[in-house]
Amino acid sequence: MDKKTRDILITSFLAVIMGLFLSGIMILFLGKNPISVFALLFSSMFRDGYTIGEIFVKATPLIFTSLAFAFTFKASLFNIGAQGQFYIGALTAASISLLIPHPIAIVLAIIFSFLFSGIWGGLIGFFKSRFKANEFLISMMSTYVALNFMNYLLRTVLIESKGEYPQTDSLAKSTWLFKIVPHTRLHFGFILAIVVAILIWLLLYRTTLGFRIRAVGQNQEAARMSGVNPELVFIFAFFVSGGLAGLAGVTEVNGVQHMLLQGFNPSIGAIGIGIAILANANPIGIIFASILFGALQVGGTIMGQISGVPSSIIDLMEGFVMVFVIISYFVRNKLEVNREKKLLLEGDK
Amino acid sequence: MLVNLLSRAIMMSTPLLFGAISEVFSERTGMMVTAIEGIFLMGAWAGFTTAYISGSLAMGLLFASFAGLLVAMLYAYLCVTLKQHQIVTGTAINILVAGLCAFLHRVVFGVPLSPLTVEPLQKIALPLLSKIPFLGPIFFNQNILTYIMYILVPLGFFIMYKTSLGLVVRSTGENPEAVDVSGINVSKVRFVTVMVSGLMCGVAGAFYSIGYLGMFTTNIIGGRGWIAFAICFLGNWNPIGAFIGTIIFGLAEAFAILMQSGASTFLPNELFIALPYILTIVLTISRKSFNVPAKLGTAYIKEN
Repeated sequence: MDKKTRDILITSFLAVIMGLFLSGIMILFLGKNPISVFALLFSSMFRDGYTIGEIFVKATPLIFTSLAFAFTFKASLFNIGAQGQFYIGALTAASISLLIPHPIAIVLAIIFSFLFSGIWGGLIGFFKSRFKANEFLISMMSTYVALNFMNYLLRTVLIESKGEYPQTDSLAKSTWLFKIVPHTRLHFGFILAIVVAILIWLLLYRTTLGFRIRAVGQNQEAARMSGVNPELVFIFAFFVSGGLAGLAGVTEVNGVQHMLLQGFNPSIGAIGIGIAILANANPIGIIFASILFGALQVGGTIMGQISGVPSSIIDLMEGFVMVFVIISYFVRNKLEVNREKKLLLEGDK
Repeated sequence: MLVNLLSRAIMMSTPLLFGAISEVFSERTGMMVTAIEGIFLMGAWAGFTTAYISGSLAMGLLFASFAGLLVAMLYAYLCVTLKQHQIVTGTAINILVAGLCAFLHRVVFGVPLSPLTVEPLQKIALPLLSKIPFLGPIFFNQNILTYIMYILVPLGFFIMYKTSLGLVVRSTGENPEAVDVSGINVSKVRFVTVMVSGLMCGVAGAFYSIGYLGMFTTNIIGGRGWIAFAICFLGNWNPIGAFIGTIIFGLAEAFAILMQSGASTFLPNELFIALPYILTIVLTISRKSFNVPAKLGTAYIKEN
C-alpha cells in the first residue's frame, strides 16, 4: 500500500470517528448517555439477518446517486440534481411496471429509466454546452421541477384505483426485483449497483472515453487542444450521471416500495453527494461508503423506535462526518506537501 | 386583487433580496456561499425558537442573525482558511444544518401535539405614504424587514461602487494578487464578507418562520436559499440587478400562492409551485453576457 492510500484510509477513518464523537456530544442534550446510545446503534444494526439485509437495501440507491455525482465530478461538473433524476427514473419504472405486469417489465424499466432520466440529466449538459448555462444552478432547480412533475402525475393519471392517496397501485408481483437472500428484503438491485459501480470504474479508468472525461475535468482547455470536444463530454457525462440516478428509481420502486409514493426518499440525492465526497469520488470506494451510510440509517431508525433518540440524529451524524471528511482533505494535502518537502531536502543533500 | 398580489410579491421578495445581496457581496470577493440554503434554514429555526421562548420577535431576529453568522463562520473556516472546495463544503454544511435543525427542534420542543406558532411580524402602515392610491398599500404597508430591504438596495449599491470598501470587495474577486500586494489580507476580506452574509441570510431565513408563517417546519426553506443564489447570478453580481431579480421571483411566488388558493382549475397547481424554479432555468439559459467575478469559487493560495 503506498503512502497516499494509507493516508486516505487513516484520515477517512478518523473523520468518521470524529463525526460520530460530535454527534455523541449532541446526544447529551437529550439527557441520554451517548455510549449506551451508540452501543444500541451498533447492536441494533446487527441484531438479526433481516436487519443486516436492510443495510444493503438502504445502501443500494445511495450507490447509484453517489455514482451520479461522482461521474460528473470527474469532469469537474456538478450534478446536484440526482434527486430529480431519481424521481424521473422512479416514475418511468413505476409506469412501465404498471402497464406491463410481466417479468420483462424489469428489463424494460432498467433500460428506460436509465434512458429517460439520462435525457433529463443530459439536458443539463446540453444547456451547459450550447448556452454556457451554469450546470450547478440548473441541476439544482431541475430537482424541484421533477418533484412537482411527479406529484402532478401521482395526483392525476397514476393515482391508485381507490383514488384516495397520491400514490400508485401496488406493482404486480411478477415485476418485483427478485430477492437474493431469503427472509430479508435484499433484492437483485444491490448486485446491479455493485456491477454498475465496477463498470463505471472501468469506464473512467480503463477506456479512452473515461480518460477524455477526466482530461476535461483536469484542464478543459488543454483537453480541447489535444482534440477532445469538452461540449460533447458535458452532454455525455450528464447523460450517464442522470441515468445512474434513474437506476436508483428502479431499485426503489421495483425492489423495495413496489409502488410509487409521493415524496419518498427525499434526501438520497444529497446524501449521495456526501458519500461521493467521503469516497473521494472513487466508484469502488463509493460501494463501501454507501454501505457505511446504509448501516447508519438502519441503526438510527431502529434506535429511534426503541430508545426515543430522534432519527434526525442520523442526518446529524452524516453531516458531521462530511465536515470532518472535508477537513481530512486538508490534512491529507498537508501530509503530502510535507512529504514532498522532505524528499526535496534529502535530494539537496 | 391586483394590489394584494403586488403587495404580496414585494413581501415575498424581501428574504430573497437579503439573501441575493449578501451573495452578491460574497461572490464579488470570490466566495460563493453555497451553504446559503443551510444558513437560511438555521436562521429560520433559531429565529422561531428564540421568538417562541422569549416571546419577542426582535430577539428572534437577533438570534437568527447570530445563528446564520455561526454557520457562515464554519463555511468560511473550511473554504477560506482551509481552502477547501466551495460547492462540496456547502453541500456538506447544508446536510449538517438540516439534521441539526430537526434534531435541535426535537430536543427543545419534544413531539408537540399541536403545531407551535408565534404571531408573525406585523405590517406597519407608514403614515401618509400608505395613503397614496394604488402604490401606497403595495409598497408602504409592509413589515419592518421589507422597509429595511428598501434601504438595503441603494446602500448596497453605494457601498459596492462608491466606497473604497466596495473597491476592495470587487478587486478581491477579480485580482486577489493585486489586493494582496497593496497590503490587504485577501483571506480576511473574504472571511469577513462571508460572515456579514451569514448575518443577513440568517435574518432572511427568519423571515419565513417569524416574518410570514409564524411557525417552523424542517422544509420551510424549500430551495429559497438556492433561488437567492440564482438571483445573484441572474442579477449579474450587481445589487440593482439582484433587486430586479428578487421582484420577478417575488411576483412568481405571489402568483403561485394566488393560483394555489384555487383561482385556476385548468392548469395544475404543481405547475405554479414549480414556476420559480422553471423561471430560474429559463433565465439562466437565456442570459447571454455574464460578468462573472474572475476568481469566483477559487481559493486564494499565496505563493511563497
